[in-house]
Amino acid sequence: MSDPEIAARGTAGSDADRTDRAWMDRLAGGDLGALDLLYEQYGAMAFSIAYRITGDRSAAEDVVQDAFLGAWRNAGRYAGARGSVRTWLLSIVHHRAIDAIRRRRPTVELPDSETILPDTLTLPDAWGDVELRLDREAVQVALTRISDVQREAIELAYFGGLTQTEIAERTGVPLGTVKGRLRLGLQGMRAALLPLDGGRGGGGG
Amino acid sequence: MAEHTFAGMTCSEVADQAPAFVLGILTPAESDAVRRHLGECPELHAEMAELNSVVPALFAAVEPVAPPASLKDRIMAAASADLAARREAAAPAPAAQPSPPAAPPRAAQAQRRSWDFGAVFRRPVWAALAAVALVAAVALGAWNVQLRDQVAGLEAYRSGVVRVLDEAAKPGAQLAVLSDPSGAPGPTGLAAVAADGSVAIVMRNLPATTGTQVYEAWLIGADQVPVAIGDFTVGGSGSASFLTSHAPLGEGVVVALTLEPQKGATKPTAPIRALGQARSQAG
Repeated sequence: MSDPEIAARGTAGSDADRTDRAWMDRLAGGDLGALDLLYEQYGAMAFSIAYRITGDRSAAEDVVQDAFLGAWRNAGRYAGARGSVRTWLLSIVHHRAIDAIRRRRPTVELPDSETILPDTLTLPDAWGDVELRLDREAVQVALTRISDVQREAIELAYFGGLTQTEIAERTGVPLGTVKGRLRLGLQGMRAALLPLDGGRGGGGG
Repeated sequence: MAEHTFAGMTCSEVADQAPAFVLGILTPAESDAVRRHLGECPELHAEMAELNSVVPALFAAVEPVAPPASLKDRIMAAASADLAARREAAAPAPAAQPSPPAAPPRAAQAQRRSWDFGAVFRRPVWAALAAVALVAAVALGAWNVQLRDQVAGLEAYRSGVVRVLDEAAKPGAQLAVLSDPSGAPGPTGLAAVAADGSVAIVMRNLPATTGTQVYEAWLIGADQVPVAIGDFTVGGSGSASFLTSHAPLGEGVVVALTLEPQKGATKPTAPIRALGQARSQAG
């Protein structure tokens, strides 16, 4: 594993990485204080995401509780996952919330309830990309850099849990158009969120 | 890029599904195939990483909404119960396994202890009960599993009661005490029916569900027609805490539970296991 991206990422975020790892080690060791801290740090954001997706306060509470308990029980598996604790935890919240709304739509195939780690977190380290700017302001700007239809497609997918086919039906365009909007939308956001110093570490392509 | 096939997908097909994969909207089978392809394929699939790195940004676009203060209590209580169960499961039966697995640092232990028996348990009597039960669980080997379930059940029940009472304290809420309609000793619990239609139920002494069985909760209004409001399963602890909602059915609504052979019952097919009439707490 001598991928330059990984080396670059290692230098860029080593302090944060170490802190996050230590945090996860405490959680994995059954340290309730670490869980308390995790909730203090990300509980409100987790709830906001769960509420955004489920549109229901009590469902959002259940999702957040499930996600934090999932993190609590599976912190030992974090060591192999890339990304910060924040991304890891919030991805679990997202995953659980989408499960919850899909459960209301019996036509959709449900993920195995035992699977708590979202796919994107089980990607090997070699799939690392440059770290993007993720502050609220940068993201708001990035969202204005893509077209309305691209933004709509991404929102229906990510916050609505709709499949590509369902998005096509909902928006009345062919499946291929939906795929194109999702791809171009994500690429457009990425371009707007690239680090201002020009992307240390490169894209690896 | 060269075209490879792994997990039944070519590189082009994987690339085609990349946006849907990182957004988590593929079916489990599809995303599993993509993941397995990525795990085996020698190609870099760099676009996958590029698209994936954008996804965390979507979190930052979400409008902040404050969670209720009780949510943290519930999470800490559940984690505490989980920890108690875990520690009990890891504890050696008497004389069976003399050296326990690597002990965590003392500081961490002290912190845990204060959480387990202090802050998490609001009332000293619960802490004492749980402490006694834990000591007994370690000492009594064969009873371990049963006691662990009881401790976990006790804690889950306690946090569920707190939640129901919180709901019941809201303006316009009604509270029902649920018990076996025949008066026999059996499942007992509480249900709060809030003015906005949310219903919180906490139960204990419920027989565990097996297979496809679920407990279905019903609201029975003035028209005497039971309306299914949601289902839940029960493990060995016999305790369950459940939150659902339904359009308000007015004052004096009856809350009932049946044990149904499977999800989706639209009218009760089994005898009522627990029943109670909700009453307004005002005045």
